[in-house]
Amino acid sequence: MSYLSTWMAVAALAIVAILIPVGMVVVSAILRPRVIEQGKTQIYESGEVPTGDTRIRFNIQYYMVALLFVVFDVETAFIIPWVVIYREAVETVGLVHALVPMLVFLGTLLAALVWAWRVGAIKWVKRAPTHYRRSQS
Amino acid sequence: MGGGVAAVVFPDLIDEWTGLSEFGLGGEFVAAFIAAFVIGNLMMIMTALAGPWAKRKITAAFTDRIAVNRVGPYGLLIIPADAVRLLSKELIVPDGVDRPAWDLGPLIVASSALLGFAFIPFGSGVHLADPETGLIWVFAIASIASVGLVMCGYASNNKYSLLGGLRAVAQNVAYEIPLILTGISVVIFVGSLQMSEIVAAQSQELISIAGVSIPMWFAILNPFAFVLFLAANFAEIGRNPFDTPEAPTEIIAGYQTEYSSVYFVLIYLGEFLHIFLGAAIIATIFLGGPAGPVLPGIVWFLIKLWAVFLLTQWIRSAMPRFRIDQVLVFGWKLLLVGAFLNLILTAVIVGVIT
Repeated sequence: MSYLSTWMAVAALAIVAILIPVGMVVVSAILRPRVIEQGKTQIYESGEVPTGDTRIRFNIQYYMVALLFVVFDVETAFIIPWVVIYREAVETVGLVHALVPMLVFLGTLLAALVWAWRVGAIKWVKRAPTHYRRSQS
Repeated sequence: MGGGVAAVVFPDLIDEWTGLSEFGLGGEFVAAFIAAFVIGNLMMIMTALAGPWAKRKITAAFTDRIAVNRVGPYGLLIIPADAVRLLSKELIVPDGVDRPAWDLGPLIVASSALLGFAFIPFGSGVHLADPETGLIWVFAIASIASVGLVMCGYASNNKYSLLGGLRAVAQNVAYEIPLILTGISVVIFVGSLQMSEIVAAQSQELISIAGVSIPMWFAILNPFAFVLFLAANFAEIGRNPFDTPEAPTEIIAGYQTEYSSVYFVLIYLGEFLHIFLGAAIIATIFLGGPAGPVLPGIVWFLIKLWAVFLLTQWIRSAMPRFRIDQVLVFGWKLLLVGAFLNLILTAVIVGVIT
């Protein structure tokens, strides 16, 4: 199978994958009723009258993990080619030359993970609210 | 061996039957489109069976109840009945939703899950495309869904949805790396990212006990990686015990709180397609793909898919949900370190053997 026809097949499935959901939306648009009632379009807050907006500024204490993720994601991208050629490399240049550089690379990243772990960068909430902390101690 | 490797991919097979490629590039595209249409609808049938019927039946069996048994044989006609019921529901657009994003979110969730099946070798020649980088493409497309989940969560203008979307990102970020690291640890044995080669490598005989030959499935060869991958996969597709982004007892329904009618169906469809996509990846890289005795390859592949689906429903009935901070601790501290250990150990062992 040629390069072009491979990606043509993927493109064909992409079209099918968009057509099926869109088709369902169209069918539903034909079938469904539309009854306008007061209060029906309120956002759901467990039956209470909704308070405030969701478009507020909030503190994602978890953002450090996003940075950490980028680091490890790039690292994964570096590991993939090594994994693919690893067996051949062991046969041609020997175990030490194929394995040790990658061990050093992984070791550096693991050290970084341990550091992030100890600093507390991978916690969902960095500091519990004061009343919570008091009741804990 | 019933299945083995697909020597020709599915569009070529259709070409052979119809001779469409005589009409040049356009004909080839029509053949590819027919193949894609068959695969897309095969997966739609699978989800139709799984969602309204099998899920209820399995959960009922685990909790000692009787589920859908009124309409048709074994209650199977509940599937068209539910399809009509859900599609004909009124679509309620809540106040202040971010309109294009709110509409596009469910579409992305469903479409991306369906697209992932392009690279999956179903066996018996049903394999849409087989590029050299197949495994990477599957992982890449499988993770598009989290973008859709964030769009749903943020555009809904609902606090529960926002929390659900936030949790979905945090969870996907935590489990993406262990998933890929354990997934590519099998590539060390194969030396290629091509799906058909990964399947072919597993058809060799590992060991023969009392005349029964045990194939070199990577689940048997490296059970540690298999367990890690299963755990990471359940977290990635947001199934129990890691279904924190939805968590009905905590945040209503997470990112899908404000969705009704067809959009609800699309999110639901996307979730089930994702379970099957995860199952397909597991079956391909750990369970020998379509390999198996007597029955044709595609039947074995579907059996393996349903086995993994049964496992997800089993866990759903048997295990309590993790809390979100526990999920993250589990991902970053346990699974990631485990994935690194697995990769290094595999590399050392393979290196010493060769």
